Amino acid sequence: MTFYKDHNCYWKNYRLTLIEKIKRFNYKFLFLICAVVFIGIGVLYSAANGSWHPWADKQLLRFFLSLSALTVVSLINYRLWLKYAYWIYGIGILLLLGVAVFGHVGMGAQRWLNLGIVNVQPSEVMKIALVLALARYFHNATLSDVRSIQYMIPPALMMIFPVGLIMEQPDLGTSLMLVFVTGAIFFVVGVQIWKFFVVIAGVSVCIPIIWTFLHDYQKQRVLTFLNPENDPLGAGYHIIQSKITIGSGGLFGKGFMESTQSRLNFLPEKQTDFIFTVLSEEFGFFGSTALIGLYFIIILYGFYIGYRSNNFFGKLLAIGLTVNFALYVFINIGMVSGLLPVVGVPLPLISYGGTAMLTLFVGFGLIESVYINREMVIGPNGANEDD
Amino acid sequence: MSLLWRYERLHVLYKRTAMLIGFFFILVLILIARLFYLQIIEGERYLELADKNRTAVRLTLPARGYIYDRNGVKLAENRKTFQAVLIREQAPDYLRTLENFQKLMPLSEEEVTRIKKEIKQKRPFMPIRIKDNLTFQEAALIQMNAPDLMGIQTEEEIMRVYPLGEYGAHVVGYVSLLTDRDMEKNPDSPLLDLPGYRIGRVGIEEAQESVLQGIPGMRKTEINVLGRTVRLLEEEKAVKGKNMALTIDARLQEEATKAMGEEAGAAIVVDVQTGDVLALVSTPSFDANLFTVPISTKTWNALIKNEKNPLQNKAVNGQYSPGSIFKLVVALAGLESGHITPERKVYCSGRVQIGKQYFHCWKRGGHGHLTLEEALMHSCDVYFYQLAQEIGPDKIAEVARRLGFGELTGIGITGEKKGLVPTREWKLKRYDDGWRLGDTLNYSIGQGYLTATPIQLTRAVAEIANGGYPLEMHLITSPDESRTDKVNRIKAQKRLFQTSHLRLVRSGMNMVVNQRRGTAYYSRIDVDGQKMAGKTASTQVRRITMKERKAGIVSQKDLPWKYRDHGLFAAFAPIEKPRFAVVVVAEHGGGGASAAAPIAARIMREALRLYPNDESLNNLFNPDIYPFSDDNLNDSDKADFKEKTADLQDTPVNASDTFITSQNDSMADTQKTDEVAQ
Repeated sequence: MTFYKDHNCYWKNYRLTLIEKIKRFNYKFLFLICAVVFIGIGVLYSAANGSWHPWADKQLLRFFLSLSALTVVSLINYRLWLKYAYWIYGIGILLLLGVAVFGHVGMGAQRWLNLGIVNVQPSEVMKIALVLALARYFHNATLSDVRSIQYMIPPALMMIFPVGLIMEQPDLGTSLMLVFVTGAIFFVVGVQIWKFFVVIAGVSVCIPIIWTFLHDYQKQRVLTFLNPENDPLGAGYHIIQSKITIGSGGLFGKGFMESTQSRLNFLPEKQTDFIFTVLSEEFGFFGSTALIGLYFIIILYGFYIGYRSNNFFGKLLAIGLTVNFALYVFINIGMVSGLLPVVGVPLPLISYGGTAMLTLFVGFGLIESVYINREMVIGPNGANEDD
Repeated sequence: MSLLWRYERLHVLYKRTAMLIGFFFILVLILIARLFYLQIIEGERYLELADKNRTAVRLTLPARGYIYDRNGVKLAENRKTFQAVLIREQAPDYLRTLENFQKLMPLSEEEVTRIKKEIKQKRPFMPIRIKDNLTFQEAALIQMNAPDLMGIQTEEEIMRVYPLGEYGAHVVGYVSLLTDRDMEKNPDSPLLDLPGYRIGRVGIEEAQESVLQGIPGMRKTEINVLGRTVRLLEEEKAVKGKNMALTIDARLQEEATKAMGEEAGAAIVVDVQTGDVLALVSTPSFDANLFTVPISTKTWNALIKNEKNPLQNKAVNGQYSPGSIFKLVVALAGLESGHITPERKVYCSGRVQIGKQYFHCWKRGGHGHLTLEEALMHSCDVYFYQLAQEIGPDKIAEVARRLGFGELTGIGITGEKKGLVPTREWKLKRYDDGWRLGDTLNYSIGQGYLTATPIQLTRAVAEIANGGYPLEMHLITSPDESRTDKVNRIKAQKRLFQTSHLRLVRSGMNMVVNQRRGTAYYSRIDVDGQKMAGKTASTQVRRITMKERKAGIVSQKDLPWKYRDHGLFAAFAPIEKPRFAVVVVAEHGGGGASAAAPIAARIMREALRLYPNDESLNNLFNPDIYPFSDDNLNDSDKADFKEKTADLQDTPVNASDTFITSQNDSMADTQKTDEVAQ
């Protein structure tokens, strides 16, 4: 089946068999992702002093679970998500409200919601739901729409509402990511650049006010970021040890399983947010640069898939999810190398943790779906039309 | 739906996405630059910091050098004792473990409180001291009961042990844990930072601290974030301190202490030909082992408050009026200045009047006409009053100084005192007063301002006995020089006095002991024909008032202890070719003849018995040919210990089984079996 232009590829006529879908699947993209995951499992194995237990084995299991999720999501035509984007967003908001009311407190923050069978982290759901909702909103927006302030109020609220709820949990990292993802989508759909500067200026003015709303531990993190040596055994301990760990790797690193900082536990919770340091210590500048390169290729691939898509929703979906992924990378590495405050963002695909991996894989599944259905055309009204 | 609308929108989207990609690329470059900075530019520094993180350098205690006596008997040694420690993380129920432990070995209330406090404070893997100074058997008992004592382990610990106990406490000294003052005194010594380091106090332990202490070892270990040792990276073994042998004879030391009995004072034995000190006793003594483990406040207070002052080393530190012993010096001064000849007689009427003051002889009726020898024999005061007036104090002071009065003997024990040889200048300076005739008279019988330490008196007597050769007093043997060489070296020196003068004085001393009417006749000895000569002295602690004299309170026993006379006796033996000089000071003993002379006789008898001739003094133990390399604890020792306790568990403790050790066994093994034998 060959596709030509709009009339043939209009979403109502757009039907792919399973075989076709499998053929059109972007294996290179998947391969890059899996490569990073396997590097991560290797680092977790090393971080446990050469043991599959307790992290590497579970991470492998989660990888297979996430991989099946990716497969399922990629095989679903994402037009479905265009249709239900607001519903999904609504569910996300409900879940966040649920956390605020019934949530489980873990690690000093209330992030989990027990749904009987599974623990759900609604802020993770929100990362995808917000991108879906914004893509849906801008799907039929004209440039002049985007440049008018009234038109931009609903999407701004779409972002502010969940960010407020997540801040309350409190989870500074996720809140910031949602803000940045929204900002990136606003940027690519064409909001004038001067408006960003106005907002940034406005926020700067508001910082002293926001400061008073921050939790003590959040304040502490920011203060510690500004001067970690101030409190070397307390709040600054993490970042100092983190820098020592990365720095001591040198050019080529100490070698696989030779990390002393990690083996001797100088970094608490090294398997989660600080996993990059273990890799840096063992594989040095070359290893960590290579990993960043790999991440950048995945990011570029994500944008490329967006470029290949034949409809605006697909493009925005791919761009938004890719930006989300990129933010993980930049914030995490920036934070462990002492460029950013420690805000609790994991290193994507590598840090130990199931929810983040699942969310990312669902996101990649959506990107794959965009790629598989790249010729599909969805008109401005596509979201409201029935099948 | 216009095409333009779609085109415009896409155009912006692509442009903005390209900008975004460019922005991300810049972020990637920033991250890489940051990594370059951390890993390449600052890499070395961070590597060092990581190393510092992961390693801990700990010093290990060196074993202290042993101290032997002249025959190789140990005066101070290290024994492996055991301490029981509790490691909380290995004790599921530490309270029960403690209870069970107390069933085995009682712990004081105080200790239990301390242990519980430490359990709360220390990290779970840090050992907490439960009880130390355990014997091998006690440690074995703990091992056998291991199932009931979860978390309790026995560790080896080196303890300083003084086999002589209280017999050698003052001369050998002791070790004890550091106080803050020690830290201030030696701020640079790395040893002092070591927990459990015990520094030498008093005696040889203090004086030879730097020789005995050894060099600390170093253990570099890898530690994790909690400070738990993961593995050993590097080890430098501690170097044991040097062993040393003293000139002391442990048997003589013990006999001398026993001879002193209840008396407070000092007893010294020297080899008159070399100045080697064979015994140096100060009484009452204390057990040197008391201080190795922290001494209890009760014991400490008892020592401090005792009026007989057990902690003072009276042999080098006590300053006494030499009394009649000083008559030997006056006699030498008189002979040298020509005021007396052997034949000259002086009449003693019992007292001498100087101005309005009477100076009494100790014998109320007087001694009549006396030669010098007789004057010494009777210890006649009037003879020497007369003599001193003729010689004058300057000559007496000069001779006294020549014999070493007023200066340190340099025996090598800290805290030695100088005593005092008064002169006209000294009195003017000290009291702003001229020298009076009365001062000279007091001088002549060794009273007044004059003071001397027992060790000084010993040297003076030894120099009179050895023919006038100046002596240096020694406590430490010199392995490089044989005794014969040493004697020859000393004999090559110029004599301090004319031989004939010394002979006369010695003859007087002979008569003191061996003539029926001599003051120390009842303390005469005869060991295979070898006899003792000596001189008694009784010195007043307070003036006997005229009233008391008239009331007839002269019996020393009627006075309270504090007011009784000091009794002194200085002796040498044998009379022909002397080997030993002995000085005994019995504080408030009542009198030289009654209190000090019998003690000196007993000591001298033992000395002559132990060393019947000159040659018997020749063989000195050489500490350097006795190698002990395995004093530091190591793993093999521990394995060894485990093996042994395993044996004990299988079979009932049978001393004869464990006691047999072959000649090839290391010294450490012998020590352990010693412990079992106890």
